Amino acid sequence: MTLQDITTSRRGFLRGSGALSFALLSGGGLGVVADGAEAQAVADGRVTAWVTITADDRMTIMFGAAEMGQGVNTSLPMIIAEELDADWSTVSVRQVDSDPDGVYGNPGFGGNLFAAGSSSLEGYYSALRQAGAQARQILVQTAAAHWGVPPREVTTREGAVIHDGSGRTMRYGEVAALPEPVTTVSQIAEDDLKPRAEWRIMGTDVERLDSPGKTVGAPLYSIDVTVPGMFYAVQLLAPVEGETPTIISDAATRAVPGVEDVVVMDHAVAVLARSFWSAVTGRDALEVSWSSDSAFRNADSAGELSILAEAADDMAADPVIWEARGDAEGALAEGEEVITAHYLTEHVYHAQMEPLNAVASVDEDGLGAEVWLGSQSQTVSIGIAAGTLGTSPDRIRYHAMQMGGGFGRRTVFARDLLRDALLLSKAVGRPVKLVWTREDDVKNGWLRPATVQRLDARLDENGTLAALRHRIAAPSIFEFAFPDRWNPETRRDVLVMEGSESAEYDIPDFAAQHVLVPRQSRVSAWRGIGWAPNCFARECFLDELAERAGSDPVTFRRQLLSGTPRALAVFDAAVEMSDFGNAPEGRAHGLAFAGYKATLATGVAEVSIEDGQLRVHRFWAAVDPGIVIHPQQYRAQVEGGVLFGLSSVLRERTTFTGGEIDQSNFYDYEPIRIQDVPEIEVRLVESGHPPSGGGEIGVPMAAPAIANAVRVLTGTTPRQLPFPQFDA
Amino acid sequence: MINLNVNGQSVDIDASPETPLLWALRDELQLTGTRFGCGAGMCGACTVHIDGEARFACQTRIGDVGEGRITTIEGLHPEGDHAVQRAWIAEQVPQCGYCQSGQIMRAAALLARTPNPSRQEILDEMSANLCRCGTYPRIIRAIERAAQEG
Repeated sequence: MTLQDITTSRRGFLRGSGALSFALLSGGGLGVVADGAEAQAVADGRVTAWVTITADDRMTIMFGAAEMGQGVNTSLPMIIAEELDADWSTVSVRQVDSDPDGVYGNPGFGGNLFAAGSSSLEGYYSALRQAGAQARQILVQTAAAHWGVPPREVTTREGAVIHDGSGRTMRYGEVAALPEPVTTVSQIAEDDLKPRAEWRIMGTDVERLDSPGKTVGAPLYSIDVTVPGMFYAVQLLAPVEGETPTIISDAATRAVPGVEDVVVMDHAVAVLARSFWSAVTGRDALEVSWSSDSAFRNADSAGELSILAEAADDMAADPVIWEARGDAEGALAEGEEVITAHYLTEHVYHAQMEPLNAVASVDEDGLGAEVWLGSQSQTVSIGIAAGTLGTSPDRIRYHAMQMGGGFGRRTVFARDLLRDALLLSKAVGRPVKLVWTREDDVKNGWLRPATVQRLDARLDENGTLAALRHRIAAPSIFEFAFPDRWNPETRRDVLVMEGSESAEYDIPDFAAQHVLVPRQSRVSAWRGIGWAPNCFARECFLDELAERAGSDPVTFRRQLLSGTPRALAVFDAAVEMSDFGNAPEGRAHGLAFAGYKATLATGVAEVSIEDGQLRVHRFWAAVDPGIVIHPQQYRAQVEGGVLFGLSSVLRERTTFTGGEIDQSNFYDYEPIRIQDVPEIEVRLVESGHPPSGGGEIGVPMAAPAIANAVRVLTGTTPRQLPFPQFDA
Repeated sequence: MINLNVNGQSVDIDASPETPLLWALRDELQLTGTRFGCGAGMCGACTVHIDGEARFACQTRIGDVGEGRITTIEGLHPEGDHAVQRAWIAEQVPQCGYCQSGQIMRAAALLARTPNPSRQEILDEMSANLCRCGTYPRIIRAIERAAQEG
């Protein structure tokens, strides 16, 4: 790597203000941001700086990815702090609200502020190490100049610079207060980053920085925001997508104490009031007739499942070839015995605990706004706000709030709330907090689409898997959610198809195909994205094939994974830790290998069925995250993912009739509760591969491991999610 | 005007007696730590104590509380140092955190009534509260820790 000298683009010197900020410049270098005015600007979040150190020895580290429970507010700053050799006890962190200079975006996510697809650690790791290492160099060189010693004689330890020769030390805060900081620093070569053996912060279980606030009910979420003069808004939303209000009788609503206004929107009637409860009471009194010509009036989930089943079997259909190795079509047409099975996954709803909401205060000129939102992407949300008002992004003062759960729901898929809060604020000339009730959230869910998956395989004379075609019938999420980025020629939908590649399995003739059908509901990504339904189908099928081959789930997969040592390691770990196949009397083990992008995992479920009741007693997960930054929180993510997957097995199902979702609240859409929870053991098997995320990986392995255990008990694989009822 | 006793203080609320306690706490008193999850008594995010017992604030009308002593997450301990809160941090329970106020309030009420609950008693009591992030295993461990360390 060539050393590239970076000169600070901002202030070239300090004036003894006692604050030193380090900005990772868009070119990849680092500059010092200093002086009182700029330090204040840092505190206001207007200057792009990753690290601020003040004379009182406090360090503030920014994090770009939005926090929704996954712990990036701790794990990402840990990376900077490690290379900076910081004293973690002096660190506080701050969420990045916006990124006008293109500095904070995730390099692994197109440079956007976008937390999705378990991409934050993977995308930010190298950039944050560099930022931390360069900041450390500035401190070292500044101290060396102050002491009049060569920089190579200065070392650092836990928030202090040290000159061993003279026995002098300074805390980082003291360095920050020096009048003449070094402002030019070189790119740090990869080999000069801290070696693993010297890590003190990464790889340890430091306490999550947000835990104290979350145990005392601190106001963290957009739903907690209060703005002076604010109206609370609720909406009577169109019962069917595409319908508009036609006749509105709001006299009774306006008579409700506290109700201030009723605003008719293209897809809703909004009630604005002095309190949420007044708004809800007013909404209950509305009488609204709706148009009735939307094509979605014919939408029906049972009908869609039939259409998907037909599409999966329609060999005249024109599928998208998502992945192809060898010649699966040829291999399956050779007249040898072809083994075929179908799997079904039904529509599911996110059920994040904080119902969707947004707070907006539009400026008097209507061309700017302050916004408080829990969104997985600041970049996308600022773009939506600017687009709604027909203004430029710099007019949006955005507050990225902690999310009360995301799971995919709060990406672009939550744009309607933000748009409506802005439109309402503009209409009434007040700040507006728009809140959906749980019923609104359920009935207007953007669902993970149902899929029907047809798998065809051929075994060779040795019983080895020679050819596999994985054919997925599903509507496109991408086409609906990102119409301006959808390519109608290639029709490649990463949100539906990823995870169908069987990338770690050595299968000579392989194809993954997407048969597209028109959507009948709003569709979106759900924790585990395509990997969850796709791994479910494939891993169940592999167990069925293993039996046909006269093999067993372990031997059959080990052979297919033999060319991928990372996969084998994690697979063997799960087999070993669960003592696979030796379940106690009345129970059975099932396993599934699952990847999620670069993260590899294997799960084992221990299951019983008594009186028709399926119970998962234990779950073992071996996961290779490459390098783990925060083991305890990584395990927490895996545990949560496994439980998400278990929930989809037991009873999660959304249905719709005549374009209306049939469920309303947690009494008819019930995620798992605490009594359903198995004992979960997670083992992290680090391969040293660059770090990869943990938010999704628990989901894809859970359902197929459980299904394969059920097969051992009953002789039949439950080939659908949620599972059918078992006979009592 | 309805008078309530909230976290040891007498407060007057200018709202109809039908108003759910949840919204009086959140919108009138700015005690937003009590969360809105479902409005139907199905998720427990709004769990508070009335005279020490866990109750759904969304299902409690302010006109029905009378002299009842209401405790919210903000009033559980003046420094946030209740045994349950300490155990919650020690076990690193919260992920998104949204349901945790309700979980902690229910756990605190359980331990006040049953200082050493069995595993089954914990499951039975806590089954009223949903957590979508999947912090359940740690909730169980934290309650057992709080019972031990009291």
